Amino acid sequence: MIEVSRLTKRYRDLVAVDDLSFTVGKGEVVGFLGPNGAGKSTTMRILTGFLPATSGTARVAGFDVFEEPLEVKRRVGYLPEQPPVYDALTPRSYLRFCASLKGLPRQRVKDEIDRVAERTGVTAVMNRVIGNLSKGYRQRVGLAQALLGDPEVLVLDEPTVGLDPLQIREVRELVKSLAGRHTVILSTHILPEAAMTCQKVLVIHQGRLVDFDTVEGLIARHLPGRRVTLDDIAFLEEIYGKLVTAPPAVAEAAQGAA
Amino acid sequence: MRPVLAIARKELESYFTTPIAWVMLTVVAFFAALFFNGSLDAYRFVTLRAFQFQDPSLLERLNLTDMVVSRLLSTMAIFVVIVAPVLSGRLLAEEKRSRTFELLMTSPLRPVQIVLGKYLAALGVMAAAVAIVAAFPLVLTVASRGAGGGAGVEWQTVGTGLLGLFLFGAAAMSVGLLFSALTESVIVASLTSFIVLFTLWIATIFTVGVEGPVKDLVTALSASEHLNAFLAGRIELRDLVYYLSLTALGLYLAERTVEGHRWA
Repeated sequence: MIEVSRLTKRYRDLVAVDDLSFTVGKGEVVGFLGPNGAGKSTTMRILTGFLPATSGTARVAGFDVFEEPLEVKRRVGYLPEQPPVYDALTPRSYLRFCASLKGLPRQRVKDEIDRVAERTGVTAVMNRVIGNLSKGYRQRVGLAQALLGDPEVLVLDEPTVGLDPLQIREVRELVKSLAGRHTVILSTHILPEAAMTCQKVLVIHQGRLVDFDTVEGLIARHLPGRRVTLDDIAFLEEIYGKLVTAPPAVAEAAQGAA
Repeated sequence: MRPVLAIARKELESYFTTPIAWVMLTVVAFFAALFFNGSLDAYRFVTLRAFQFQDPSLLERLNLTDMVVSRLLSTMAIFVVIVAPVLSGRLLAEEKRSRTFELLMTSPLRPVQIVLGKYLAALGVMAAAVAIVAAFPLVLTVASRGAGGGAGVEWQTVGTGLLGLFLFGAAAMSVGLLFSALTESVIVASLTSFIVLFTLWIATIFTVGVEGPVKDLVTALSASEHLNAFLAGRIELRDLVYYLSLTALGLYLAERTVEGHRWA
């Protein structure tokens, strides 16, 4: 569903994404892990057609994001790092606006707005002005926007930022329920979240891919012989620490050896 | 077309839910009233004098439309130069600053749809401003009577004048939209488009003491020169072409700038 090949993004001297290649199959939920500035957001912006790559290609649902941006954008729901909401609008008028931008059939708009509001838990604030909402609600209104029209692919940049623990759990359940029918890429700093919601984890460090595997695969490779359950979440912290504190060369060797 | 209208509607909503459109329309209404009163007083004074001296040639040249309405319209054109940059500066710059530009750019839209939607809303506010100005000759029509007993205001001349004012406003908004597409800062967008529009408006100042083709060129580029025929009741092709091509140029470059975001 998503094929990224030798993707590189340079800003003058800074290399934000460096020769990144990976594929995500249909219905998979993939977590992007990496320190701040690792290139997670940049990769997501390229996948959604907001930024061009310096070199390399990215294909979403069979369409090249640069050559056929409209085809890609029709199939992708995107929640940027900062929820792209208008402070002057209410969530209802905001979602109606987004539905028109996405070209949803008119007669479906009302039901669709109610559906995504229900799923993201913003039904109670639908008629308040977004500028007066808490960070968590703004984030969820942004998430509701990404879900509008039930797109095949969802790209969520830190969807749980600003949410309280209970809301985080709700969003986690939401993402899990999307698996199978939707292909989801989400970035997060919260490691347990990746372990609990994602089938695969992709670790980026300094713009490079340092590992990409299923959670079980990561455990087998980096903590050989350790028996872990999902309740025991410290293991991922350990693996993550190994991957992003090691100099890239070592990490690469580890990847090569694997 | 539907996304274009959706963007225009949202934009109009935010124009009128924030004070910006109200403030600018109030500025237009206030100064239009001020200048309307002023030129009406001047007209009354000149008329009284003309009667006092029983000067038939002066009386013949007295004309309510030319002396009051056309003068009002040409003064209000200066306010277009002031109001249009303030109204248009935020159109795209604000989206970039509040990160909602990312929403527009990752929705299945063509850049031309974004630009047209924004422009349509700006045009709506400009139409409202021109409508406010149009209220003054309307009042005059109700309150005045011509020499022949008919209306004292020649609506053909007023109509072309209002059309000229609106066309100039439309061109000014498209210039403002272009500068708004070029920057993230609303203030920078408003200021640069103001400088450009102001320069176009006073361009003939630069022709003082200059002769030949340079003078012709500068005069041809002057935004105020092209308004004169409209104010005198004539629609001339070269003036139409001037305002419409300025509008088209602004919109085209704005569209290219938005498309350029996808490339860098």
